[in-house]
Parts: sequence; C-alpha cells; structure tokens
Amino acid sequence: MKPLKIGITGVRGIVGETFTPELAVDFAESFGTYLDRGRILVCRDTRPSGPMIRSAVLAGLLAAGCEVIDLGVCPTPSMQLAVQSLKADGGIAITAGHNPWQWNALKFVRSDGLYLNPTQGEELLDIFHQGEFAKASWNEIKQLVQKGDAIEEHINVLHRSFAVETIRAKKLTVAVDCCNGACSFLSPKWLAFLGCEVLAVNDNPSAPFPHAPEPKPETMAQLRAVVKAGRAAIGFAHDADGERLGIVTDLGEPLSEEMTLAIAADIRLRKKRGTVVTNVSTSSAVDMIAAYRGGKVVRVPVGQAYISEGLSEYDGVLGGEGSGGITVPEVHLTHDSAAAIGLVLEHLAETGDRISDLVAQLPRLTTLKHNVVVEPHRLYSVMQEFRVAVEQDGLEVDSTDGIKVTLPAGWIHVRASNTESMIRIIVESDQKTAAQELLDWARDRIKR
Amino acid sequence: MRAIPTLKISISGVRGVVGQSLTPKLLTRFAQAFGTHAGPGTIVIGRDPRTSGEMVKHAVVAGILSTGNRVIDIGVCPVPTVQLQVRNRRAQGGIAITASHNPAEWNALKFIGPSGLFLNAAQARELLDIYHQGEYTKVGGAELRTVDEIEGATDLHIKSILDALGPLPRTRRKLRVVLDSCNGAGSLVGPKLIEALGAEVIPLNVTPDGSFPRPAEPLPENLVELCRMVQEHQADAGFAQDMDADRLAIVSEKGEPIGEDYTLVLASLYVLSHEKGPVVANLSTTSALVDVAKKFDCPVFTTKIGEVNVTDGMQQQQAVIGGEGNGGVIYPRINFARDSLVGIALVLHLLAESGKSVTELLESVPRYHIVKEKIACPSDRIAGVLRTVRQEFAKFPLDTRDGVKVILPDCWLLVRGSNTEPIVRVIAEAKTEARAREMVSALMARIV
Repeated sequence: MKPLKIGITGVRGIVGETFTPELAVDFAESFGTYLDRGRILVCRDTRPSGPMIRSAVLAGLLAAGCEVIDLGVCPTPSMQLAVQSLKADGGIAITAGHNPWQWNALKFVRSDGLYLNPTQGEELLDIFHQGEFAKASWNEIKQLVQKGDAIEEHINVLHRSFAVETIRAKKLTVAVDCCNGACSFLSPKWLAFLGCEVLAVNDNPSAPFPHAPEPKPETMAQLRAVVKAGRAAIGFAHDADGERLGIVTDLGEPLSEEMTLAIAADIRLRKKRGTVVTNVSTSSAVDMIAAYRGGKVVRVPVGQAYISEGLSEYDGVLGGEGSGGITVPEVHLTHDSAAAIGLVLEHLAETGDRISDLVAQLPRLTTLKHNVVVEPHRLYSVMQEFRVAVEQDGLEVDSTDGIKVTLPAGWIHVRASNTESMIRIIVESDQKTAAQELLDWARDRIKR
Repeated sequence: MRAIPTLKISISGVRGVVGQSLTPKLLTRFAQAFGTHAGPGTIVIGRDPRTSGEMVKHAVVAGILSTGNRVIDIGVCPVPTVQLQVRNRRAQGGIAITASHNPAEWNALKFIGPSGLFLNAAQARELLDIYHQGEYTKVGGAELRTVDEIEGATDLHIKSILDALGPLPRTRRKLRVVLDSCNGAGSLVGPKLIEALGAEVIPLNVTPDGSFPRPAEPLPENLVELCRMVQEHQADAGFAQDMDADRLAIVSEKGEPIGEDYTLVLASLYVLSHEKGPVVANLSTTSALVDVAKKFDCPVFTTKIGEVNVTDGMQQQQAVIGGEGNGGVIYPRINFARDSLVGIALVLHLLAESGKSVTELLESVPRYHIVKEKIACPSDRIAGVLRTVRQEFAKFPLDTRDGVKVILPDCWLLVRGSNTEPIVRVIAEAKTEARAREMVSALMARIV
C-alpha cells in the first residue's frame, strides 16, 4: 500500500503516487463548502509540487464560490496571522511541514487563525466523504486576489511582541538555515529587522531542500559550520513552513529538537510564571524546569490544535512540542519559529547570557525516538495489541494520546503517527543505557 | 422527461455549465488525460474572459502539471493565439478554455495538437479513452514542472499578421472601421491590430470582463448596435467577433450585415488575387466561394463540417486559403486556425488595395441566399430521414460525406443530423431567397 493519510489534521501524501490533483480539488471544495463560501487564504511552501497543488486548491475553492486570496509562498504562521487581520473565514496551508520533499499536504485553518480542532476536522471529513459540494454559478463565482505582504505583516506583529530595541542594541551575529523553505522570505528579514548580522544559508526558495526539512542535529552540520566560522551568537534551523525550530549554540553544538522547548520554557518562566502546555510525548526536562522556576506543565495529545486549545483553556504562557514547535501566546496561539527566535534573542540581549551557558544549566535527559513502519491496514491493530501486552505486565497506561507508560527508569510513549503509516516510539531516561533498555522493551512488545 | 443536458463530452472537447456539471474535478481529470496523451513537454493554455475562466484555468493547470508537463499560460486571448503559440513554440499541445458562442454560464476545453491544429477525430477518441480509463501519468518530486505566465502572446500574433501581410497600402483617406468584440477575447488585441495595420478603429464592446453585451454568435440579428455605429461614424466597415475571436462577421459601409458566409468570400478575393492555389471549405459553404475561385482559375475542395476537417483538407491540398461559412477564415501562411484577426487584416487589405467599398466588392461576386432550418428529430430516426432524402433525390448528384448534400442545377440542399442536439438541420442555397426557402419547405414536408 502507498502512503496517504486523510485525517482530522488534513490530507497528506506523496505527489505522483497517492496525492493527486483530484484529491486536492475535492478537499478544497469540501473546505469551501464547510466555510459556506467565505473568504479563504491560501499559502504554500517551496516544494516542487506546490504550484500543482496550489492550482488544484484554487480551482476547488473558486468553484465552491469562495473569495480566495492567494498569499503565494509564505510560512504557515504568516498565513494564520493574515487570516485574523484580513478577517478571513479560514485558510489552507499547502505544506507537508517537516516531511521529505516528495510529500505534500493540506492543513486547514479556521477564522481565528488556528487549526481545525478534531470535531471540526471530522465535520470537514464528513463533507469530503459525502462528496456533495457547494457550486457557484457563473455569476456567483469570484475573481482570485493575489496578496504579497503577509510576511511584512507578520514582522509587524512580531515587532509588537518583543523588546526589539534591546535586541537591536546588541547587534548579535546570528546564523540561520532556512532549508530553502518558506522561511527564506521571512527569517533573514526578521533577523535583519532585529539589527542582527545575518549569516543565512539555504535561503533560496527556488532551490531544492538541501537536507530533510526537520531541524534535528543530523541536519544541522552546515549550520554548525557557519556558526563556528562566523563566530555567531546562535544558529537557527527551520523546517519548510516556519513551525519548527532547531538551535545550534555559540560553541557550535547542534541541540536536539527537544531542547528548543526546554530553552524557551526556561526563558519564559523566568519572566512570567505560569502554565506551559506541551504534549505527552515531549521530554520531561520541561517538568523539571517548570518545577525549578515555579511554573506548571499541562500535557495534551500530540498536535498543534491541542496545544492551541490547551493554551486557551489554561491561559498558558508558552506552548511547545518536542518536535521543535514553539507557541508564544503574545504573538498568536500557534507554532511560529520566528516568534521563538524573538523569544530567545530577547533573552540573550537582555541578560547578556550566552546560549551555551543557558543550555549547560538545563537538565540533559536521553530521549530516543524510533519509528516502526506498519502496513496501513495493521496500524491500529498493532497499537491495540501493544496495549494488551503492556496491561498484561500489570502496568498503568496513560492514554491521553496513544499509550504512555511510566517506569522507575523513565517513560515510554507509543502512538500511531497522524501523518504517516508508522508507529512512533519515544523513550526517555536520565541514563543512556536505561533509555536503550526502555526502547528495546517497547520494541519487543510491538508485533508487526 | 429527459433533463436538459449541461455537459457534453465529445471528440470536439468537453463543454458544460459551471456550477452544475463542469466541476473542477472533471476539468482536472480531462487535463490529466490530455497531459498523458500529449506529454511530456510544454502545453500552452489560454482562455476567454468568462467569469469562470480562472477557476477552469487552475483546474487545468493542476491536471497538466501532475502529468509532468510544463505549462505556458498566455492569459486571456483569442483561441487562434493559443494555436499560433503552440505552433511557434513547437509545444506538445494546447488547451483553449472557451465555450465560444455558448452563453455565459457555459465553459469548455478545446484540445490542440502539436502543430496548432485541433485534435482530429482519431486523436480525440484516444484522449476520451484515456479520460474514461482513468489511468493518468503521475509524476512527483523533481519531475514536476512549473507554470510560466507569459505576457505579449497577442502582440506576437499581431506581429505574425503584419509580417505576412504588411501594413495597409496608402489610401485616399484612412480607412475607418467599427469593431464589436462582444467583450470577448478579441477585445484588447482587435483594436491594437487594426491600428497597427494603419486604419482607424472605433471600438464597441471591448471590455473583457466576462459580461455578454449581446449573444455571442455574430449573426445579423445580434449586430444591431454595430450596424448603427457604422452608419453613425460613416465607417468603411464593421467587424464583429465572437467570444473566442475565431469567427468574424462583416457589416457593410451602409450598416448592413453581409452575412457570415461572405467573410470567407471577401478574404479569398484578396488572397487569390495575390497567390493562386487550392481553396478548401466545408461542404456547407456558399457557392459564391466557388465562383470567386473560378475567376482566378483555382480549384475548390470541400470537406466534412468541422474546423479540424477543413484544416486536414487544407494540409492535404496545400490550400492557400480555406475556412467555413460561419465566418471562420483560415490562412495557413499565418496560422492553421479560424482566426478573426487574420480575417480582419485580409478584408482591410482588400478594401485598401481595391479602393472599393464593401458593397461594391460584393457586387463583383455573385450573390446567393442561404436559408437554414432545423427540425426536432430523435437520434434513432436521423438515419431514416437521410435515407428518404437520398431516395427522393436519387437522380441528382449527391454528396454523402456529412449528411446528404443534393446538387440541383440552380441550388444545393444539405440535410444532416446535429452532433450536439436531437435535431436535423436543413440548409439550402439559391440565387434568390424565395427559391432557397421553397426548397427547404419542400424538403421539410417530405421528411416530416
């Protein structure tokens, strides 16, 4: 079977295989029908399938009678802010985020700029499956509008949320790897706006991705070299659409993507005590930091929609996930790597600390991640069998999202991916050998 | 009761009503089928200014891109401009997005082969088979190509006309014409061409905004305003285009429509006086064309009805001019397509070179009158009707390539079933309208 995921977080697949133009047209018509022909924004990242999927989406939305505003190539959070400022009824981001370049996806945003929640995602899927869409007649159909200033507007919003003058005064040297993605247009501009000396690599949006668009240590070799050669205060690594952020320290150490939230939480809770919202799969480092700084942690299922809802519900001061996605509520309630950059640079500027010093004080846990590829028709059965095996061992299961088991040596989290046909295992321990044992324990109990 | 059809898929393309049957998914699939049939290579697309044009365009672009072809989008332009671009760029094919003379709620795809000619019956059947089989070429990743939006395609069209025919020769006073573009695809390029040739143009209905100021077919009853303007401005002629600017009708300096059949007659008068060679037209074209050709000692060959049949015939016979009685002029030195712009240039050259008025020119060629009627007839009875006609007129020469054409000493008669509606068309041409009408009535009485 070929990879395609249609779910409450949208539709995602490989172009040239499962993700066809008809499918994109159908989903766009469904969304246009769901929003009752309102005003809808469209943006995309820089994948080679972007123009094809864009045309399919525009055709579907126009046919449903929507007023369509095309923002062109821009980060998803820029579009999410524009949805609010342009009083749109929703938006579609054409991006597969951190997935390899052969993938693409549609992500659906509602009128407050946040992703559809699971109930809304179900409603959209029902319309898609029913296949009865709104159809505009020749005198109802609207003309497409192109708008190119979403990134400037994004920087305007960021400007209001951080101590820009303090950062400018420090004239920091900052390296950034945009992965030739949508942040190529935003990040160097934002850093220059902050008065930084910008050492940008892979900031050509018409070139292919130079490496996987996942800000992990294994993709940060080039950035690390730039940080060292340029004696930069810090290096930032982007995914394709501006949600996840990776960090290289001034010493040239590429940090695990789990550390981004730990750093952000430490910075945030020093200034503002409150609740950090994260998912069940994210490192316990955040709990230790919160305990030390006098904050609280709330854990929700994996996925941005849950983080956004958690932040509203608990009036949180920071949201984030172990993937490197950070939400700064003052900017908006959604992951935004440019906002995360603002948060970190503001701290460096205000305190004069080096990022390596800050990191040295943070708990360092061993987190191991392992994916087990499973045939799509077995995915949820395998999960069920794992649960039975764990319960037979007499262990208590946290089922906020998937199956989480806490043992004396650490914790294990096993869940089916929302976006690919695989089971993700994450284990964490304060000792390396114990972490490996936890991973082996979990793998033994997953019977493909 | 059968529902009124809103979709017609045939070897001449796909036509339908927007907001009903002509959905973006259907259009995307057709474009995928076309990309599969034509590719890999470059596909040129252009459209008329209908309100649904942008939706249809994006659906088509998505479909073509998904098959690995590159798209050149030349925007709003006449159908012959698309055909000319396909030929000049040596593209793999083209799609013209226009429902030509159909009302505003319709739109359609017309498929163009590598030489700029519409797909012939065999090629169109292959395309339909691919469409129905539903197995399309799918490419992903680096094999995906992009869309290039190109401006100035119509300027190149004007240039090819000027290169082939040159500017108008000097006249005692500058020629003045009224152009009625029906707010269609000829709105912008038509006036430009006339000025470039060196005549004065008074524009009428040249706002390409998707509104229909009159029914799109350039029939005498739809040209009242044009006739009035010709008189008011004491113009030398009036020109009327249809929505996609392939057909041309002419109004004399007296403000009288000369009949669509005479567009090709006047154009041939000019061409044959400069270069001798065969003329090709469909078998429903006026005998005046034969008389004109005879004057220049040139043979006339007839073909079945349909633009592609005429262009195929023109290629076989190496014709110097050809076309159809509906105002479609095909001049192969510029373009193997019905082209109202070419028609305008040829007729203006004729007026300038001869120094005669439209009325004087028409007096130099024999006048015939064509009467056209239609009778409702279920498709299963058409064959019976045609058999009756063959038997009734067995002693006269018959042409049975397309329905039945009867050649009588002083007139001709054509009876054929429609490809698009359950009707039989009866056409007669004679020296007087009374005689033509008498023949039609007599024939209708016999077959009803």
